[in-house]
Amino acid sequence: MVTRVRPYGREASIVDGLSEGVAASLRAQVIADCTAAELTVIDVVPAASTLVVTHRERDGELVRRVLGALHVSSTAVNVRHEDLVEIPVRYDGDDLTEVATACSLSIEQVIALHSNADYQVAFCGFAPGFAYLTGLPKELRLARRSSPRPRVAAGSVAIAADYSAVYPRESPGGWHLIGSTTTSLWDTHRDPPALLQPGTRVRFVSVS
Amino acid sequence: MIRLDRVGLTTVQDAGRPGFAHLGVPLSGATDRGAYQLANRLAGNSPGAAVLETSGGLIFTALSDLNFVVTGADCVAHVDHRPLRQNSTIFLRRNQSVEINYMRSGVRCYVAISGGLLGPQILCSQSHDVFSGIIPQALSDGLEINVGIDSGSMSSLDGITTYQPLECVQFDWGPHYDELTSDAYKRLIDATWYVSAQSNRTSTQLSNRQGFALVMGDLPSIPLVRGAMQLAPDGQLIVMQADHPTSGGYLVIGVVLPTDLDRLSQLEVGASLQVVPNR
Repeated sequence: MVTRVRPYGREASIVDGLSEGVAASLRAQVIADCTAAELTVIDVVPAASTLVVTHRERDGELVRRVLGALHVSSTAVNVRHEDLVEIPVRYDGDDLTEVATACSLSIEQVIALHSNADYQVAFCGFAPGFAYLTGLPKELRLARRSSPRPRVAAGSVAIAADYSAVYPRESPGGWHLIGSTTTSLWDTHRDPPALLQPGTRVRFVSVS
Repeated sequence: MIRLDRVGLTTVQDAGRPGFAHLGVPLSGATDRGAYQLANRLAGNSPGAAVLETSGGLIFTALSDLNFVVTGADCVAHVDHRPLRQNSTIFLRRNQSVEINYMRSGVRCYVAISGGLLGPQILCSQSHDVFSGIIPQALSDGLEINVGIDSGSMSSLDGITTYQPLECVQFDWGPHYDELTSDAYKRLIDATWYVSAQSNRTSTQLSNRQGFALVMGDLPSIPLVRGAMQLAPDGQLIVMQADHPTSGGYLVIGVVLPTDLDRLSQLEVGASLQVVPNR
């Protein structure tokens, strides 16, 4: 696995080619190394195999030098939490039939596969409280919709590529909608506001 | 203090919420950063002071003597029914009213009151984030908003031109530029793009009439930055603005230059433009 550090526009830099789970574990190190080099970073955001740092335009070269000198492990650092969150799901999503057809499965098989799997939060992103859950069975892996919906309802349970997720609130979205939940994923009056944090284990429980 | 007599299409914005993107919280803040910074500078405010961002329909009244300035889109606006001059500080006496009716050209203007707006914050910012639904203060007709202490250091600047629409958007290549075939590249550059009605504070969406369908494999979601230009499989270009999602799974083929991004955010629905790689 070869990691690369490149500019991402004028005000950000991206490290890619990271193994699953490594990006999230690098965040603290990046902040510490940039602080030690007296560089102001705005945001340090890990995703599946990439890490992005936003910074001032004039600091681009220096930030990329720090990122290039990172000691990057090639194996995933597993943040294992004991907390298990159970999310009740009504499998009534608008794309359920389409997903079943695309996967050559019956609707019952889609529901059984989705609700019998063990998930874990790999990273957070997209919108406040949106957690990318790994553990989606291979049989359910589909590319995103070719065109995003302008509005996806809050609590929609969705799948795309290797992940499952719950939309914390109404937003645009390009994932396949298979169900819905009434569980609140994000609440600014709660501490922490996000129900699902990196490492949290999740199970979906089918309710009808 | 000011009173919002009519809110219209107005939100409170400041420099946004840095430091929370890893939790999925967008930076938010003013969409036209240049116009926002200019407003605060002319009003003598600190760079991150909160202002009103409006697309029109706004009426407010000064409840004490104050100075203010309007920047950004070219708007039809009045102080007590007399036309208002943009991009320069205006003194407003107690009980005088300001009306920002509609935009003559552009989408949003910025109203900075000297001293800055003081209001509740969520995650260290007063900004109203339409994508996340983070609304520190819901504006309603009749609401009174406190204003900080006027520094008295208003400035005037020469050579500020009125808002001019952008016709060509320059971008740097993005993380997925090498996924573009030469045919797709040619069509991207040759196409005339139109600002679609789905554009808002989250993103500027561009469509073209030739169609641009792409066949592509699965891509892992990557973090998105302001200005990131995503090419959706249906051929739309989606350029990330202030309230953008913090990650996404479509091809990021470019990043719009910061100055062009401000002006792109000001384009009206239906405006046409070209996209051009920066060399």
